[in-house]
Amino acid sequence: MEIDVRHIAKLSYLKIEDNEIETYQKQMSDIIQMVEALPDQADFDAKPKVEDAMQLREDEVRPSTPRDKLLQNAPQVEAGCVVVPKTLE
Amino acid sequence: MELIQKTAAQLHQLLRDREITAAEITDAVFAQIAACEPQVQSYLALTEESARKTAALVDEKLAAGEELPPLAGIPIAIKDNLCTEGVTTTCASKMLYNFVPPYSATVVKKVEENLLPITGKVNLDEFAMGSSCENSHFQKTHNPHDLSRVPGGSSGGSAASVAAGEAVLALGSDTGGSIRQPASFCGIVGLKPTYGAVSRYGLVAFASSLDQVGPMARSCEDTAMLFSAISGADEMDATSCDRGHRADYRDYLARDVKGMTIGIPKEYFGEGIDEEVSAAVMQAAEVFRSLGAQVKEVSLPSSPHALSAYYIISSAEASSNLARFDGVKYGYRSEHYQNLQEMYVNTRTEGFGAEVKRRIMLGTYVLSSGYFDAYYKKGKAFQSALCAEFDACFADCDFLLTPTVPQTAFKLGENVDDPVKMYKSDICTVPVNIAGLPALAMPCGRDSQGLPIGMQLIGPHFGEDVLLSAGHHYEQATGHQFTVPAIASK
Amino acid sequence: MEYEVVIGLEIHAELSTKTKIYCGCKNSFGSEVNSQCCPICLGMPGTLPTLNKEVVEYAIRMGHATHCTINNVTKQDRKNYIYPDLPKAYQISQYDIPLCENGYLDFMVDGEKKRVGITRIHIEEDAGKLIHAESFEGSLVDFNRCGVPLIEIVSEPDIRSPEEAHAYLETIRSILLYLDISDCKMQEGSLRCDVNVSLMPKGSNTFGTRCEMKNVNTFSGAVRAIEYEMARQKEILDAGGVIEQETRRWNDAKGVTELLRSKEDAQDYRYFPEPDLRTIYIPEVHVEELKATIPELPNQKIERYMTSYGLPQKEATLIAEDVSRSRFFEQCLEGGKVAPKSVCNWLLGDIAKVLNERGCELDDLALTPERLVELISLIDQKTISTTSAKTVLECILDDGEIAIDQIVKDKGLAQVSDTAVLEAIVTEVLAENAKAVEDYHSGKTNVLGFLVGQCMKRSKGQGNPGLMRQLLEEKI
Repeated sequence: MEIDVRHIAKLSYLKIEDNEIETYQKQMSDIIQMVEALPDQADFDAKPKVEDAMQLREDEVRPSTPRDKLLQNAPQVEAGCVVVPKTLE
Repeated sequence: MELIQKTAAQLHQLLRDREITAAEITDAVFAQIAACEPQVQSYLALTEESARKTAALVDEKLAAGEELPPLAGIPIAIKDNLCTEGVTTTCASKMLYNFVPPYSATVVKKVEENLLPITGKVNLDEFAMGSSCENSHFQKTHNPHDLSRVPGGSSGGSAASVAAGEAVLALGSDTGGSIRQPASFCGIVGLKPTYGAVSRYGLVAFASSLDQVGPMARSCEDTAMLFSAISGADEMDATSCDRGHRADYRDYLARDVKGMTIGIPKEYFGEGIDEEVSAAVMQAAEVFRSLGAQVKEVSLPSSPHALSAYYIISSAEASSNLARFDGVKYGYRSEHYQNLQEMYVNTRTEGFGAEVKRRIMLGTYVLSSGYFDAYYKKGKAFQSALCAEFDACFADCDFLLTPTVPQTAFKLGENVDDPVKMYKSDICTVPVNIAGLPALAMPCGRDSQGLPIGMQLIGPHFGEDVLLSAGHHYEQATGHQFTVPAIASK
Repeated sequence: MEYEVVIGLEIHAELSTKTKIYCGCKNSFGSEVNSQCCPICLGMPGTLPTLNKEVVEYAIRMGHATHCTINNVTKQDRKNYIYPDLPKAYQISQYDIPLCENGYLDFMVDGEKKRVGITRIHIEEDAGKLIHAESFEGSLVDFNRCGVPLIEIVSEPDIRSPEEAHAYLETIRSILLYLDISDCKMQEGSLRCDVNVSLMPKGSNTFGTRCEMKNVNTFSGAVRAIEYEMARQKEILDAGGVIEQETRRWNDAKGVTELLRSKEDAQDYRYFPEPDLRTIYIPEVHVEELKATIPELPNQKIERYMTSYGLPQKEATLIAEDVSRSRFFEQCLEGGKVAPKSVCNWLLGDIAKVLNERGCELDDLALTPERLVELISLIDQKTISTTSAKTVLECILDDGEIAIDQIVKDKGLAQVSDTAVLEAIVTEVLAENAKAVEDYHSGKTNVLGFLVGQCMKRSKGQGNPGLMRQLLEEKI
């Protein structure tokens, strides 16, 4: 079972060093092999069930958090905003 | 008898009778922390000042003759993946080494409302991923019964602190056995509640559909008291509910075991289970029989596959839950980057440990285009099949009895290089999370090395009252008494 | 070669609920940066979403208005992608079971009825905003918009021209306004769309490869983007090239579409069911109750205005398309005091002219339906002339207090019906216009109109023109 470790790392926003690829390959394959032994459940119905229904929230305003408190953990703040490297899309 | 040897229920009695003060209990616990923390290393942060303040408030109210909640004045340790407003919440990860939440978890708020002094934040495997506490970025916690061994995980700090007398109670979280396995390794009681019985708001998510917060304590009665305090529906958690909720689970402890039917699922006693462990659990079954319960063999044929389904579902959800740690809004940010992409990748590569990265990678893989049906959907299908098997058992059993872990506590470093072997220590606990059921882990003897052995009582959805009463009767029948192990009581 | 264009539209409409979709923060536009946020908006560790009931109900109402099947047992899913304005690194959306699906929308294009299928309508959360300051190295993130509720309305590829696309967008907009579920302020980004465009040889039934254009924020932009894309794709096809399936961005300033990403770079969103929420279940009875709250929509109104009030299609459409105008119109007719045609003429004539000049809405004026009815009644009762009424209107557009009869009195606008006064005027006018009198007697009876005009002029517009004509006929 060949897993494209590099592609998965890219999707995961992780850097995997060349010398780690093989280890990841093996460890992930071991688990996937375990998974592939799972019995098929042909009659499985994935649809949501009424008995699992949740209570919906009423549309009533609650106070927001003061900005200073909210952003106190941010690595970089400027003009009341969180800062990231220049991003244009 | 020293205060640190007592259960919460005993301490509550002493407080009510005005024989001791809450301040004295807190003093005793912090003295014990000072004495054994260098060896045990349960705590990532201490909150001594606020704990003493809460204790003082309790004493004040007691002096004024106020009626207090049963756990008022009983010191509690909080697993460091539960958010505490104004106190660092690290998840034992470099990623959150400096994170101070501007909010508290609902369970933490409930603990505060019940006036329990919070001693501090305790160690875990990074983001609750692991079975030994060795995946903590900060420190390795040691088992108070044998310092060369692991306390289990991921709630290893919670279990070790309660076992070592560094706290009377603790909150843990359980995704695949993270409360029950360390409780078993450390010889204490731990309850993994029914999915939805306790609010997850403020519990840093690992696998949202499996995670539950639960109590860890020295007796079933203590567990019942803490579970009463933290359970119930929460409007902040859409997956929580009030079904089967009891205001005070102690009211059900006296319920007779006589006439109950206990199922012994044969799949949990075979290959891979240590013989001493099997024997101890079968011995416990005999105790229940002697109390008037019927014991019968049942079957959960899908159980051996539960671990596979668990790794698909939990890793998939984890890969999504942990994507938010990107260095933008909170926590660690790499110092090395030229652009946004590099900032993301370097922050995550430097901030996460090996096990977390492994699970993120696995989860991303099973969800990625073309594999969803083969893996995630298959895992979900298995989940519904396993639930049906459990339901069939509960049609004529009040609860099921199994070992909690296949073996007793292993040595530090023993399993770190073999993830699959490490994962196998969860084979008895994982099916319970997959099925969303409640399970109580409690001591049922010792192995030849003197290490605690744990048994697991699995109940039907919202059957916590049944489990706690059965466990309580077992403790009474066997004269079980909690003691702080010699190493930690030196 | 001649081509036919195939267009599909995905409209994102922000809903005007009081709170956000997953937390109790206020859903408002234009607040100070990061002031309408809480730990849930920022996706802080351990926080959980709780779904706003109103969002589900608004979406179901839109589903009813577009004849959709309502999936009243549904769920939400996570769409995973990392971007600085998306704090959780996933958007809570809907994947395989949208709240509403398989509907359609009828509307008029150039006097012809057009039907466009509605594939689905689902609920999801909006993302935050990136601010790019010239003076600053990096980009700033404002999370206020995070969690603002959206519905995404996806059409079938049934649209065949830029004009149809425009009419479809206008119809969706007017329905959202009629349902009062979105303020549809394009300039605030409350309504945005992605446009899918492909070409196929005229007469063919096989769709060509499509390109998706993002970032289309105005209806006119949508039309121009479609026109641009039609030309671009035609050029490629005519040169023997092939269209690549890709995502493009509409650059409104330059009036061009630009490549954003090719099919190979397509993102892998790794959708899976949102585990932090359970089943969304709206009992059938309630789904039906919501159906009963759907007001009469523009199409039905146009038909009713034509059949019941005898308005021509053009006028009926102009009134029905505009929520506030049609509401005003219908309020005017409530007491049955005035003719629909008169109200229509005022609304589409003098009043529309003022609104146009000022660039404002009917609701911005002090004028109320009651006052317009009063004014029209005065004309009907011949108390004032139409000319005088225009003067009165000017006064009451912005002043809701001043009494209309006071204006008439102060400005001396009341029609004069006193026969003695009018006889004197008629006598004078006849004396001064001997030539016209002669013409009249020689058979040119149409000079009477001229003479009435002269009399009106002399009476400073206040003479009752009917009475004046009668007197002229008698005395000439």
